[in-house]
Amino acid sequence: MTFKLSRQQLQLLTVGIIAALLLVGAISWKAYGLSADMSPREMRDAITATVDYQAILFVNLLIGFSTLLMIMQLRGDALRVLLTVGVALIFGYLMTMLFNLDASVVFSRGEFRVSLLSDAVPLTSINYGDELTVELNDPRAETPITEVTHHFTGTAGDVVSVLAFGAERRSKLNMQLTLLDNAGNVLQENLDADDAQKRTFRRYLQSDGDAVVEGFVLPATGFYTIIAKPEADTADVNAEFTLALLSDNAPPVTLAYGSDPVGGIFNKEKTDAPLTTATYKFSGGKGDMVTILAYAFRGETDLDLQVTLKDANGEVLAANNDASAEQVESYRPQLKSTQDAIIQNVILPADGIYTITARPEPLSSSAQLRETVRATNKAYDAFLFGPLSRLNRWVIWIRDALTLIMLGLAVAIVFRAEQFSLGSEGQLYFGALVSAIIGLYFGNVPKTILVPMALLSAATAGFLWGLLPGALKAYLGANELVSTLMLNTIATRFYEMVLTFQLKPPDAGYTSSEWIPNNGLLAPIIDVNGDQITIAVFILIALVLLAWVMIQRTPIGYEIRMIGANIKFANYGGVNTRRTIMLTMAISGAIAGLAGAHLAMGIHRKLILNISVGLAFEGVVVALLARNNPLVVPFTGLLYAYLRTGAQMMERDANISAEVVRIIQAVVILLITAEALVSLFQQRRMKQRDKLMSSQGDTPAPAEGGA
Amino acid sequence: MALIEAQNIVKVYPNGVRANDGVSLSVEKGEIHALVGENGAGKSTLMKILYGLEQPTAGEIRLRDQLVHISNPQVAINLGIGMVHQNFMLVNSFSIAENIALGREGTRAGGLMVDRQKAIRDTDALSKQYGLFVNPTARVDTVPVGMRQRVEILKALYRGAEILILDEPTAVLTPRETVDLFVAIRNLVNEGKTVIFITHKLREVMEISDRVTVMRDAHKVGVVKTAETNEAQLARMMVGREVFMQVDKPPVQRGETVLEVRRLTYVNETGRTLLHHASFRVNEAEILGIAGVEGNGQTELVEVLTGLRAASAGEAFVDGKPVLGHGPRKIREAHVAHIPEDRLTNGVAMLATINDNLIIDRYYRPPCTQVGMLNLNAIRSDCADLINQFSILAPSGELPVGALSGGNMQKVVLARELSSSPRLLIAAQPTRGVDIGAIEYIHQQLVDQRTNGLAILLVSADLQEVMKLSDRIMVMYNGEIVGIFPNTPDLTEEKLGLYMLGAERQPAAEMEMYL
Repeated sequence: MTFKLSRQQLQLLTVGIIAALLLVGAISWKAYGLSADMSPREMRDAITATVDYQAILFVNLLIGFSTLLMIMQLRGDALRVLLTVGVALIFGYLMTMLFNLDASVVFSRGEFRVSLLSDAVPLTSINYGDELTVELNDPRAETPITEVTHHFTGTAGDVVSVLAFGAERRSKLNMQLTLLDNAGNVLQENLDADDAQKRTFRRYLQSDGDAVVEGFVLPATGFYTIIAKPEADTADVNAEFTLALLSDNAPPVTLAYGSDPVGGIFNKEKTDAPLTTATYKFSGGKGDMVTILAYAFRGETDLDLQVTLKDANGEVLAANNDASAEQVESYRPQLKSTQDAIIQNVILPADGIYTITARPEPLSSSAQLRETVRATNKAYDAFLFGPLSRLNRWVIWIRDALTLIMLGLAVAIVFRAEQFSLGSEGQLYFGALVSAIIGLYFGNVPKTILVPMALLSAATAGFLWGLLPGALKAYLGANELVSTLMLNTIATRFYEMVLTFQLKPPDAGYTSSEWIPNNGLLAPIIDVNGDQITIAVFILIALVLLAWVMIQRTPIGYEIRMIGANIKFANYGGVNTRRTIMLTMAISGAIAGLAGAHLAMGIHRKLILNISVGLAFEGVVVALLARNNPLVVPFTGLLYAYLRTGAQMMERDANISAEVVRIIQAVVILLITAEALVSLFQQRRMKQRDKLMSSQGDTPAPAEGGA
Repeated sequence: MALIEAQNIVKVYPNGVRANDGVSLSVEKGEIHALVGENGAGKSTLMKILYGLEQPTAGEIRLRDQLVHISNPQVAINLGIGMVHQNFMLVNSFSIAENIALGREGTRAGGLMVDRQKAIRDTDALSKQYGLFVNPTARVDTVPVGMRQRVEILKALYRGAEILILDEPTAVLTPRETVDLFVAIRNLVNEGKTVIFITHKLREVMEISDRVTVMRDAHKVGVVKTAETNEAQLARMMVGREVFMQVDKPPVQRGETVLEVRRLTYVNETGRTLLHHASFRVNEAEILGIAGVEGNGQTELVEVLTGLRAASAGEAFVDGKPVLGHGPRKIREAHVAHIPEDRLTNGVAMLATINDNLIIDRYYRPPCTQVGMLNLNAIRSDCADLINQFSILAPSGELPVGALSGGNMQKVVLARELSSSPRLLIAAQPTRGVDIGAIEYIHQQLVDQRTNGLAILLVSADLQEVMKLSDRIMVMYNGEIVGIFPNTPDLTEEKLGLYMLGAERQPAAEMEMYL
């Protein structure tokens, strides 16, 4: 056979080779982890330091070759394939953006703390619910405490009870209590609790000397003073007593100078009423100098806070969005970034209750959009370059591509005959099952015999499982679409049944078989920390070539093509269409069976549940993208596997659900099936060519010739 | 003043075929304007442009001196342009009135129900006005082809067509129906309509048209008044050279029996007997023509004999060996060639290349296949020879057949079937939808092959074709053979017509005589 290349073919070849080399270069660059600032020597070292670097180069060259093949086979259509994927990617980008519309939420979500710092004497020293224990008349102390004065803030109408009681049972102390308002007027006094009060407060009151102010209704909002001291008869007794301020009302202040930071979680996910603003109150005295910190708690958060200080009348005294770098420095470790907020050294103008409001800094819509784009870019970066970012990810890509290419081939063959058989999934399950069983039960047979045996059995299983719907169609007229889908279910469930009840070791924690012994595994050619690319590469090369030769160069292939082009014509011409359809579906099944064997013997190395989650249907996309041309399937399989792996990376690195990728996949399928788009482009091209011709005055002569 | 004018229309299809190259057409109000040309000359393309089915690459259309853009058929209909396609666009399961009103039906019960009665009344009125007889309540699939065509015309008129484009309207009609159609066309013109009549049958052009525009190879060759021209001149314009409408058919002594059919019967899935006890023979060096109105069992006979349908009873022998019951391959291996009636369905795979189409009957054996592999070189060179030998106009055998014109497609079929060294050729409608030049070619090929000893079973709806080519003529009526006659000069169309319509039946003894 002679190869004469026309000028056009030569151009195409050149373009193809350039594209292929560029691709090989780019992928290898990434796979070997090269960077532009390396010297050639360093690059060489980096390459040779990579595990199995020759094999990696070999695989990359195959990727380049598949690109070349694709360009040579599809010619103008190659652009169409890339365009299709490109449009789908753009669409996917928009979808990702949609998912990232709330990307700016990272600035308003997270745990925070608010601290109130001041050197001033706090106006209040006791709060609702506080129990303070003090030792009176300690002889060792320089100035022994003889009475205790506490201030608290209350809101008008609050019902408070004040208790003063000996800390020990049968304390000798006899306490008395006085409650005063801010002006020093005595509101209530008590010397001893009566029996009813003792019962009411029996948790606290234990001896006859305990005092209680029970159920006092505060007349106004403001400061109150409690004075607790021993009654005169026990004035010198050295003992501990406890002062308790009880109220069922919410305390009007939640923060005090130097108290522990308070906080919470803003916009917590999956809550019905997420916290969006936190408000705290404190009592401040005139002239107090306070510093308020609002900061994200725990690292790894982008929470951007805003803090506001208001007086009792709601007037804003101070507000802050972002701390300065110096402030961050001086208030470490609380402040960690300038996104935290600080109100520093504000002098309070009057006594009163002040309000601190902390909330996430509101974002402008442009900032929100910017953040959406940033997050989308980050996700897409992971999507588009993730599979090359680490060598083991590259391995995962290639490994998955091998399966997808096999499935793509299987689908391309039946689709070539216009048989819409979707049985690859079931055939794959049978292939995986049979090959694994052979590996598991004949583990001591030498590898050179066992592996071919397992592969052959997997192919046979797939062949038979493909023959079945073929026969159903040919002899019973069963629609192949329906029958294959049903057979898929049977195969999947059968697989699960055998796996669960026969293969799963009884003590295994989850449903999987034992590891297939080494003799039953495909030998690796690349091994990156256990992620392997196996000799399946060579099997695949053989399969692609065989499939192409079969379709283009054999009588059965001719039959397949003619049935696909016009089954009535094939029948009229004497083709045994029934037999050919059965055979086509069976051959396709054999290849899908091998894909299953690859999953079992090359990737998982044991059988697991859901060994293929709809992989075969992705094979359909691969085949469609390749226009059912076996020589193009490797490229589209690689492309598609790349998108799949990228999707996983996006999911992992950028927290975008894989559903986005499913959407992209669906768009690809839609675009492929939208052939109208294609003819639109063709027409435009025709028009342009026409313009060109008429402008050159060059009218093509219509075909001439006598009948 | 011209009613409608197309000026310098250029149409280039995406695959690069230039179907119209500066074509102009001017039709006056109230005339019957014939557009003639060989298949592939660009007539249909021009009409599709007028009807908005295709957009011209260049050129403009004027209606009553107004520039119009006919972007789709709806626009054309609104402008009063109606088209009756060669393949009818009717809903078979609807009644005729429903088909005519479809899309414009009156409603009742507040728009919820279709007003069938109104559709029937409208159809009746329209039918009477233009003398186009139809039965408004009959289902479309139960009425003859001629009536379906009238339905198409009425449909266009119902939508207000002033200009009616009839695309090869007579191709599917019997002679009688053609006469009716012509009467109807004259009525239409009398009612003020304008008719553009596409055909390649020159006799009809002479009979019906006022003026003729002739096209060839995407160009307009000329416009002539029918009264000032004749068939020979038109044929010359169409083909670009002298055309001999006569077939050179030397008398030959017929040889031994090749095909013998015995009491062949075919009952379809619904239990109707479409072929009943057909028995006949075809001998070497003779053409047995089957005459009959379409739908009288010819299609079933051919499809049973070629293995596309299974016979319900009866036998067929080729060279003494039974051939039925094992599919088309077995029959082909008995050296039976078949030109199928429906070329586009059975005869070719439009998407496949010419080469692939040429080898469908022989791909599996040498020289196409050697040691289990297709020998592409051998296939290419053999096919190139065939393309050459049968004058198929194609730059390369790698071109899809769908890119060829109807005539050239038929030549691909002819090339394949005649090159298979057949003993028997079953030719069904071999010249349907084929242009004059190709008809001439195909007729001569058939006769030459017969002279060289081939046995040919010819089925044609064109009675003239049957009478011109056949040595013997067999008439089918209602699935039965009602007469077999030697094709002598005293056998007239009228006599055959009586048999075709079932009015006469040849006695068995006489039929035996001419077997």
